[in-house]
Amino acid sequence: MATKSGNATALTVLSPIKNGAIGETSFADITRERCMRLPIHEQSPLTKVPNTYLARLFILDDVFYESLPANDSIFNFSDITSIFFDSARKKALPRKDHLKSKYLVFSSNFHGDLDAYLTGMWEKWSYIDNKGVQRDVRHIWEHCVAFDKVTDCAGFIAYIKKCQFEASLFFNGSTDDSLQEQLKALYLKQEFTQFAMEHQGKSAVEIQQDFKAFIARVQPENLIAPTWPPGKSTP
Amino acid sequence: MSNIAGKAYAMNVITPIRWYTTWTNKLFFKAATLLPSTLKGLQTLSLIHYARWVIIPRNGFPHLDSSQPREDLHYAYMLFFSNFNGSWDQYVDSFTFAIPSGLDLFWKWNIRYPKSVPLTPFHNYIRHNQIDTAHYYNAYPMAASNDVKSAQKIKKALIRFNTESSDKSPEDFLQDYYRLLNDLQHHFGDMKPTPIVSLSSYEVKKRYEQTRF
Amino acid sequence: MTKDLDLTDIQGNIIKAYGAYNYQKARYLFLRINNGDKGRKFVAAITTKVTTGVSWNKSGAGPAVEKPMATTNIAFTYVGLKALELPTASLRGFPEDFMMGMAKRKDILGDDGPSDPENWDNIWKERVHIWMSINAQNTEALIERYNWVVQQVEASGGGVTLLTGHRGDAGEDDLPYQEASVLYDEAGNPTPKEHFGYTDGIGDPVFEGQTNLSARVPGRGKLMRDGSWAPLATGEFLLGHVDEAMEYPKTAPSPTLLSRNGTYMVYRKLHENVGTFNHFLDEQSKSFPGSKEMLAAKFAGRWRDNGAPIVKAPDDASKAEWDKAFEAADFAEQKRMLTDFTYNDDIHGAKCPYSAHLRRINPRGSLEYGVTGAYETPGALDDRRRILRRGLPYGSVKDATRDDGNHGIIFMALNVDIQRQFEFVQQQWINYANDFKEGNDKEVLLGNHDARHPGKVVLQVEPGSGKPPHFINNIPRLVETRGGDYFFIPSITALKLIAAGMVDPT
Repeated sequence: MATKSGNATALTVLSPIKNGAIGETSFADITRERCMRLPIHEQSPLTKVPNTYLARLFILDDVFYESLPANDSIFNFSDITSIFFDSARKKALPRKDHLKSKYLVFSSNFHGDLDAYLTGMWEKWSYIDNKGVQRDVRHIWEHCVAFDKVTDCAGFIAYIKKCQFEASLFFNGSTDDSLQEQLKALYLKQEFTQFAMEHQGKSAVEIQQDFKAFIARVQPENLIAPTWPPGKSTP
Repeated sequence: MSNIAGKAYAMNVITPIRWYTTWTNKLFFKAATLLPSTLKGLQTLSLIHYARWVIIPRNGFPHLDSSQPREDLHYAYMLFFSNFNGSWDQYVDSFTFAIPSGLDLFWKWNIRYPKSVPLTPFHNYIRHNQIDTAHYYNAYPMAASNDVKSAQKIKKALIRFNTESSDKSPEDFLQDYYRLLNDLQHHFGDMKPTPIVSLSSYEVKKRYEQTRF
Repeated sequence: MTKDLDLTDIQGNIIKAYGAYNYQKARYLFLRINNGDKGRKFVAAITTKVTTGVSWNKSGAGPAVEKPMATTNIAFTYVGLKALELPTASLRGFPEDFMMGMAKRKDILGDDGPSDPENWDNIWKERVHIWMSINAQNTEALIERYNWVVQQVEASGGGVTLLTGHRGDAGEDDLPYQEASVLYDEAGNPTPKEHFGYTDGIGDPVFEGQTNLSARVPGRGKLMRDGSWAPLATGEFLLGHVDEAMEYPKTAPSPTLLSRNGTYMVYRKLHENVGTFNHFLDEQSKSFPGSKEMLAAKFAGRWRDNGAPIVKAPDDASKAEWDKAFEAADFAEQKRMLTDFTYNDDIHGAKCPYSAHLRRINPRGSLEYGVTGAYETPGALDDRRRILRRGLPYGSVKDATRDDGNHGIIFMALNVDIQRQFEFVQQQWINYANDFKEGNDKEVLLGNHDARHPGKVVLQVEPGSGKPPHFINNIPRLVETRGGDYFFIPSITALKLIAAGMVDPT
């Protein structure tokens, strides 16, 4: 189950990438390049996945070795045992860990139900890649382990659920409204600020009249339009 | 392409934790959600859209097929994802200066975590364990977390005002209108593109825009 | 805990704002080094007259030194230190911002449009290596010291060039120095004013190691949870000392003797569009519910005539009260009235707006937004964004309806970390406002307002009062950058090492 904070949901997915290559380019590097070359802002495929607030993709190549200074304020038994056995000192050094596969990491913050969101990913994720070809979500997950067995939406949902993690803490520093609500609200904030500024010092009659026209134009309760499109990056 | 999308920065940090302390971490996280005071500092900072901590147990990495080798790890891993406003420096600094004890609560059991004060070892710890984002999507690049929250207040207030006041007499309307503006006076900031917090990211983005067909 | 500073080792301009010590006149010189060996000899010669931070005519502890008629100080750009042939290993230890220089950082600083480096004084098209300041109590002393410096330049036999290219009063653009001076009133008395009419130079940060701390620290140090003030860590302003993050500043190059007791200086020539400002103030005050002076105070955070903080005197009536108390107060109490305040009783900005210059450059405890205990201390987000301000106005206003006269401020900010301190305030707090929950609304006076897409600010009012906030819109660019760079101010020890070619980080 993905983690929720009110109606905001945190989806964390780690999908193992197949070891191996096409020619001399590993599956991981192919996947990485496809992610890095995804178009951004208004052209990102995530604009089409409904209710996505903020989301990211990256490749986890390996875990890091903690070659950092020891912390002198936590007591370790090895502080005592190393006096007697040098092997104790060596054992107290951080261990080297390595991952045997690389992972495609997808982390999304969105509004609403997980299944609906994953359905949106399968059905709506769409963009034009840097070679001009139309692509869907499979282009990113193509080289993940066992993804070739995913042929339909139900299969995709099941696949992602096998790869996902609960969050121990999901901190919501924003709102948990639907994306449409958020975008509409941002549009209204922009428009009403402008209105308030332009009508400073005007008469009651004029403000009231203009306000009614303003409401008719911006339609506060109409979430479809007019509003900000997802990923809008310029004024 | 970059860790930055408009006004938001995507930070990804992965750190090993002793596998037997995963339960203490989960306990602290649970406590944090139950005790609002722990998060008071984070909320007042108001820099974050959404952030999460995820713990992957030692044997927890997904294994989807026999062809995939099983992971064999000494440690469990903590993932931290944040979507925040401002530069990397401002964000990490604000934790060290404003809420150092809160940070220590969450990260304490991580291997070689240096405590959040002094600053440079903590900076180094985050940098050392940070992974760059390949694709970062922000549904509202021109809106900081503060703007999204402001916008919610404006929308609610505007709809209520329209219902209650737009058909009153002009004098009454005006009084209500002034009261509305007074209530919303902290929410009228302009929303335009972000200041350039990183010259190198700025250059990358310029080149990207030039090469898009 | 606190250790006295080695005042004999620290250059005087770091310790003192000379303008407050009756040094009414100044010249700023910029030089290029053409030959490393001769350049070092020049630095050695200048060092014999470099003013240190020792107290003047103090009776009691410490060396007492006669107050000089003129002071001299010296600093270097990164390329200047290279020209003096500092070793690569030392050069590599300098921070990136200093190495790039201010012109290349224009995108961070918002120096665009009229402030773009292409519009700067000609001198900034030269390779600037050395900055020197002469501050003098009168013009004779100024010229005497200046002539002495020119002599040293000539004695270098071409090793050092005094660069020309400063704009002047009579329309020249090739002067060999930048002149600056306090402004005088009609009676010829020196005033602390600048060309927009504001009283400047109030309130410098106070840090550990300075003298007379308890008298100076209220309002100027860091704000503690119990409402008292403590001095800031020395390492916020001097390299080689522990800073607020409990470590030695990482912007210090090797070896220690090169960096200890030094600091970085941001030098900016800021032209003031006096005509535009006066017109803007006049126009805006027509619709503003308060006097014109009150509006001017809302822009700056202080009243123009005597610098009264608007958070303590939020309107015309309370200003009159404040003035009475100020008149009756003794010198120490006056200083306290000017600097010892917080915004704790003004969380909503109804007294001092969030867009006011004073509140933007130093929000004191107000970034906690009244949520007591949210942070370690109320000033936690502010303590590491402080700068020492030095400088003087330059030029004079002959026609207050025009912008194109020669008038502005030579502004210098001293700090250990240009990027974290000066650049942060400039970029995040002056030219942007998310920390103040004001989106992209720039600070009125210094913001790099865009003529094509003019911005606005909101002047907040008492919540629940039923009064609407007041919008100030179509804000023009009031201040333009006309030049500047980033400099390293070495200690006296470091100066001697540099001059002797003995800097060695091995």
